[in-house]
Amino acid sequence: MAQNQLKSLYNDLKRSFEAKPFDLKKCGSLLAKLKIGLIETGLLTPQGEHNIDDLVVARDILEIGAIWSIRTRDVPSFDRYFSQLQTFYTDYSSVLQPSKNEYPIRGLNLIRLLTQNRIADFHTTLESLPIPADAIADNQYISHPVNLEQWLMEGSYSKVWNARERAPVEEYKFFVDSLMGTIRNEIASCEEAAYESLPLKDALTLLFFNNQSELLTFAQQRGWQVDLSRSLITFATKGEEQAEIPKQKLISSSLAYARELEQIV
Amino acid sequence: MKSTEKEDQKDDKKQETKEEVKKEPPTPSAEIKGNFVLIDRAVSTLEPRFTHRVLKTLTTLVKKIDEKIIRNAIEEVYPKESATKTALLSWLPPSPSEDVEMQIDSSTSATTTKPAPVTTEPVPEIDIYLRLLIIHQLLKSADSVSEAKDLSVETVKKMQALNRRSLDSIAAKVWFAVERSFELDGDLAEARPLFLAAQRTAALRHDDDTQASLINRLLRSYLAYSLYDQADKLVSKTTFPVSAGNPQFARYHYYLGRIKTVQLNYSDAHTNLQQAIRRAPPATLAPGFYQAVHKLFVVVELLMGDIPDRGIFRHPVLEKPLKGYFEIVKAVRTGSLSQFQQTVLKHAVLFQADKTHTLITRLRQNVIKTGIRRLSLAYSLISLKDICVKLHLDSEEDAEYIVGKAIRDGVIDGRLVHEKGWMACGGAGGVKRGYGSEVAEVFSRRIGYCLELHNQSVKAMRYPLNAHRKELADAEGAREREKELAKEIQEGDLDDEDLGGDF
Repeated sequence: MAQNQLKSLYNDLKRSFEAKPFDLKKCGSLLAKLKIGLIETGLLTPQGEHNIDDLVVARDILEIGAIWSIRTRDVPSFDRYFSQLQTFYTDYSSVLQPSKNEYPIRGLNLIRLLTQNRIADFHTTLESLPIPADAIADNQYISHPVNLEQWLMEGSYSKVWNARERAPVEEYKFFVDSLMGTIRNEIASCEEAAYESLPLKDALTLLFFNNQSELLTFAQQRGWQVDLSRSLITFATKGEEQAEIPKQKLISSSLAYARELEQIV
Repeated sequence: MKSTEKEDQKDDKKQETKEEVKKEPPTPSAEIKGNFVLIDRAVSTLEPRFTHRVLKTLTTLVKKIDEKIIRNAIEEVYPKESATKTALLSWLPPSPSEDVEMQIDSSTSATTTKPAPVTTEPVPEIDIYLRLLIIHQLLKSADSVSEAKDLSVETVKKMQALNRRSLDSIAAKVWFAVERSFELDGDLAEARPLFLAAQRTAALRHDDDTQASLINRLLRSYLAYSLYDQADKLVSKTTFPVSAGNPQFARYHYYLGRIKTVQLNYSDAHTNLQQAIRRAPPATLAPGFYQAVHKLFVVVELLMGDIPDRGIFRHPVLEKPLKGYFEIVKAVRTGSLSQFQQTVLKHAVLFQADKTHTLITRLRQNVIKTGIRRLSLAYSLISLKDICVKLHLDSEEDAEYIVGKAIRDGVIDGRLVHEKGWMACGGAGGVKRGYGSEVAEVFSRRIGYCLELHNQSVKAMRYPLNAHRKELADAEGAREREKELAKEIQEGDLDDEDLGGDF
């Protein structure tokens, strides 16, 4: 594909990306064509020296691709775009002007890891961000997922719930919605352990449900006993676990000690 | 961090050399000459031990030498018309034109002092060793760093072209010099392809020294740029040679500890860091490394929910640099969120420099947990509002969730009563956990550790080569003697009997 054809396609994409309402289908087909173009010009995973303008165009295309993937709710595709963008964000950071979309996309990636419960990856990614740790709080795109993670870990679920509306970019909400499902399950498991019984209406607020029927289906899934007449949920108390002596384990470790001691003496 | 590590890298070598220096403090030039002999012997006998001995003194030697000493050494060891000599000398200031003059000068003086000038070209190992000395010499001043870089790259090329096994241990040190020169020049990332290629070759040739050195170089370079993913992949794809020296192992464990901590794998990180501390040279000799490891170690212990030993903070080497960490420990121990946040703010710059800031912010939840635990021990009933006030939480709602989570995670033993808005603690029988299995587990872990230590030390023992031959000969001799003895006894017995018979 010729260079100028690529350019015109890129302009097309940019126009349809900025247009409102956003044309998902058209963008998708344009992106597919552009990706082939990028591969042919060797810009998809650039190596060595390249024209800076070309690199910026390639980065823009991939960034639009990443955002487009979120809008089409295609997380694996976002993952691919993000990995391709990594080259531009890290290896060419000294050559290219920083993109205004860089941090929103990095933030999206962080939230994605959070919703998939990949906490270790979340922290690894966070650690390798090119900004100093105390500047995280000033960067709203990054501080959002960081705060979410912190609240999740300490258990301030209501803060997570409230933060859902304060997403710095529209796309964040897509992930926050799926995050809510995770939170609900977390809260439910906490409640099972912490309460003997809970009034229905309190459970409703604690679990952030809007109406009782939603709560009832949820309770059914988790196997809670709902007493509608008293409007009370009782949680099945776990029977005292029988402390069992791990015979097998003790025997094997004793044998291991004996063998080792035999070797020493 | 960087500066402290630099210190450590120098220091952990220094420690090894110290003993030898005490025994015989020769002049640097005599030392270099002695080293040439040793290298020569190492090459001719194919015994790497001699080279190791030479390299042990490297760091102390580097501190003592200057350009003149190196130049003299070069003059003495190379024949007059040697291309290698000219090549080596060209790297040394002053400017080339003067250099030629000096060269003639010193060579004439060399010939006058030594009646028989060298006529044979020495082994290439000596060339590389000299280059190593020159690189270190060039690194001493900031102006010649780029020269050092050029020389190191050239040396690496030469080393690879020579491809001699007797060069391996020197090569390991050269790689360190390469890293230092690239790092001081500010573009450590550029050296990475070089390291990676060399690492592959070293692995294929089972060149353990170089491999150990290169893996550490790569890890350092990745971690310097916070590329934890890549570092992790490198670790999973390579095996660190078991025969590597302690300083390399200490570093490797430290880097592993860093990676594992970032990945929230605290217990593994803890083991790695402990290993790093154990294998590290004594604190007074390599304070930088010791401090860096301990800083991370303290944070990891806190993240694991343990409180680090108070003794660490009283250690003369650690007391001052770990002051900020000590305050964090105090805040975590008391479970005071406000104190914790204040301390983090106060020492933010320090933590930032140590690259532990993000790790420390992870401690927030531990602080809250400790706080709840203390409350649950002190009160049998406490309202959520009071918890909120005491722990400086934002709302009662939050408090309820947090306490709920703490109960689920087994941090405290209690119940929430939502209607009344309070937490009842430890009411239900208190002692829930039996001691049996837990104690057995801890016991087996400790015993396992002791046994491992014993086995490791047995493996680490060194035996002189061919010593068993002598022993075998001894055993043979002993058997001979035994036979003779037995014979004598037999004969004696006979005698006795004979005597007895006589009586």
